[in-house]
Amino acid sequence: MGASHAVAVLLDDDLVTLNRVVGVVRRRNMPVTDITVGPSQMTGVLRLTFFTEGDDAAADRLLRQLEKTFGVRAATVYGAEDAVVREVALVKVRTLPGGRADLQNVLAQAGATLVAEHDGACIVEVAGDATRTETCIRALERFGVLEVARSGAVALRGANGAVPSSTSSPLSAPLHRR
Amino acid sequence: MAEILTGAQILCRELVAAGINTIFGYPGGAIMPFYHALPEFSGLRHILVRHEQAAAHAADGYARATGRVGVCVATSGPGATNLVTGLATAHMDSSPVLAITGQVSRPMIGRDAFQETDVIGLTLPITKYSRLVQDITQLAASVREAIAIATEGRPGPVVLDVPKDVQNQKLAYEPGGDAPRLAARGQSGNGGAPTSASLEESVREAARLIGEASRPLFMIGHGVILSNAYDEVRALAEKTGIPVITTLLGISAFPESHPLHLGMPGMHGEVHVNRAIQHADLIVGIGLRFDDRVTGNTAAFAPRAKIIHVELDRAEIGKNVKTAVGIVGDARTVAGLLADEVAARRCDDWLAEIRGFVRPRAEAFSGDLSPEAILASIYEATRGGCTIVTDVGQHQMWVAKYYPYQRANTHITSGGLGTMGFAVPAAMGVHLARPGEPVWAISGDGGFQMNMAELATMVQEGLSVKMAIFNNGYLGMVRQWQQFFHEKRYSCTPIWSPDYVKLADAYGIAGWRVERRTELDDVVRAATAHQGPALVEFVIAEEANVFPMIPPGGSLSEPIEAAPAGARAV
Repeated sequence: MGASHAVAVLLDDDLVTLNRVVGVVRRRNMPVTDITVGPSQMTGVLRLTFFTEGDDAAADRLLRQLEKTFGVRAATVYGAEDAVVREVALVKVRTLPGGRADLQNVLAQAGATLVAEHDGACIVEVAGDATRTETCIRALERFGVLEVARSGAVALRGANGAVPSSTSSPLSAPLHRR
Repeated sequence: MAEILTGAQILCRELVAAGINTIFGYPGGAIMPFYHALPEFSGLRHILVRHEQAAAHAADGYARATGRVGVCVATSGPGATNLVTGLATAHMDSSPVLAITGQVSRPMIGRDAFQETDVIGLTLPITKYSRLVQDITQLAASVREAIAIATEGRPGPVVLDVPKDVQNQKLAYEPGGDAPRLAARGQSGNGGAPTSASLEESVREAARLIGEASRPLFMIGHGVILSNAYDEVRALAEKTGIPVITTLLGISAFPESHPLHLGMPGMHGEVHVNRAIQHADLIVGIGLRFDDRVTGNTAAFAPRAKIIHVELDRAEIGKNVKTAVGIVGDARTVAGLLADEVAARRCDDWLAEIRGFVRPRAEAFSGDLSPEAILASIYEATRGGCTIVTDVGQHQMWVAKYYPYQRANTHITSGGLGTMGFAVPAAMGVHLARPGEPVWAISGDGGFQMNMAELATMVQEGLSVKMAIFNNGYLGMVRQWQQFFHEKRYSCTPIWSPDYVKLADAYGIAGWRVERRTELDDVVRAATAHQGPALVEFVIAEEANVFPMIPPGGSLSEPIEAAPAGARAV
């Protein structure tokens, strides 16, 4: 069993490319958690992020397969511990009569905000790492959690690297190892 | 001057402009506009197959024989799904096939219309690229892009799915224009070329390792054929005196009469070839992917050897075996650079050591109609000038081991996918690619029966393919595994055949049955000389085996060289 890797893929913004990329990952038969996709810094280019467990060699093989997939602009793999990882959660909770002050306290402690309020229910937004969102959701349970929507994690490599905006570093050999 | 053309006419125009002159296909509802336009294009010869699978295999055979894109056409739904096995075959063996499929009209897509299937979804994992053409304005560019993608870098199959109403749309068509880049091409395109500095550095490192090794080997694969690297690889081998191993798809990349040629490695490789691998201290792999049929158990593969891997597809380097030096590049370029860089040397002691590994060939047959004799007869009758297209199974291995290939790219087979039924339709494509040259399709009795409907195609289209059936009354390779690994329980492997001579007669083609060695040469000569398709059934021993054999998942050091005790003698 190996380490956890964050994988980021920049790909053309169309469903068939997304389908192709996910298919490549599925075929490698690697365990995947927290798959997210959304806009990137470039128009018409999506950023797909997911996390996988496995040894470095397996992650490297996956990266090579992703890099040669049509519609992929760039792909990178890095240790999950090197990444800044964040997600957003929306939590719909019951608003109990007289519980307003209590709710405000929980929100303040969790760093969450109230973003909508309807008859008898409100929607809370919390952003942060997984621990923070999960702690917040647990704290809200006593009010009665009706529904949770989590964005899944997005990640950026922390210290020394971004996904290059054009396909890959020089495809030189001998092959570099991370 | 722009002309108003339909989408179907634009498709045909673009195929002609790409230099395509032969297409294999089968009409149907959603592709009818294309077939309506086709008679206007006398430069496009259409071969009407009897099943779309055969169209894909024939396009594949055509592509492998020419190095250019092979084209197949089918309608939506069952037409497209029937292509799938052929596309998967081309994908595993890196063959540039363009499949054009009709799709239901755009307003019907997603409504489970008659003969609607999600062709793009079906073919995503078995194509290099695929595209649903949503509008006629994208059509010409899509064809150019698809052909470019199929052939550039590591070749592979592509699918263009064209809705019927797009085929009927009209557009002011301007010919020409550059191949567009509708999609990012990843590294399979030109982006895969290494920088010259890093290439030089790794070539120098490889040359140094080659100079230092005392037991070096070359292992060459399909990439050498795809990149036309015969001369460069031969020069490299001759300058260094290093023996050459050819993988199944590398067969005919190096002349088998050459003193440095060793043979095929892997599951059915000769003992001396596999033993050479296990004793080697350096393996230089060029244009291959070290698949499991070559390596056996990778943990036990070439335990003493450093591996230099030259491969156009970077994703292959380090995928299956650990590599000391990986060189991303075209086999021809890199072999040429290596040949310039290496110091001349000889490997006489190592060659002598390998010669000491050679075992007398285990007898595959007790009868006198052995595969060696049949193949020698075909070689003699064609004076070594034919292309052999094989199917999958025992006969495929006998051909790979015993046919003495001398000419480049004259061995065509389904390697990676192992597709039974490949040989007969693929040979039609090879025949059209190499008119005037003899083409023999060699199949077992199982594989032949999978696509024997194509006899009718050969007759209707006048395709002079010679067919050999090695008939042992069994699905022989599976029977062999049952004999070795499943207590000789011949479950569902005995297979009945029709009277092939009568079958040939029913199709109006020449047919022979050979049961004895004494009949062999006359029949093979007559079949070769016959104008038009011809079929020869060779009745061979029922329980013939392919020896040696590395058990699945086993080490190359542990070949099986005889049937296990208790098995019936053959």
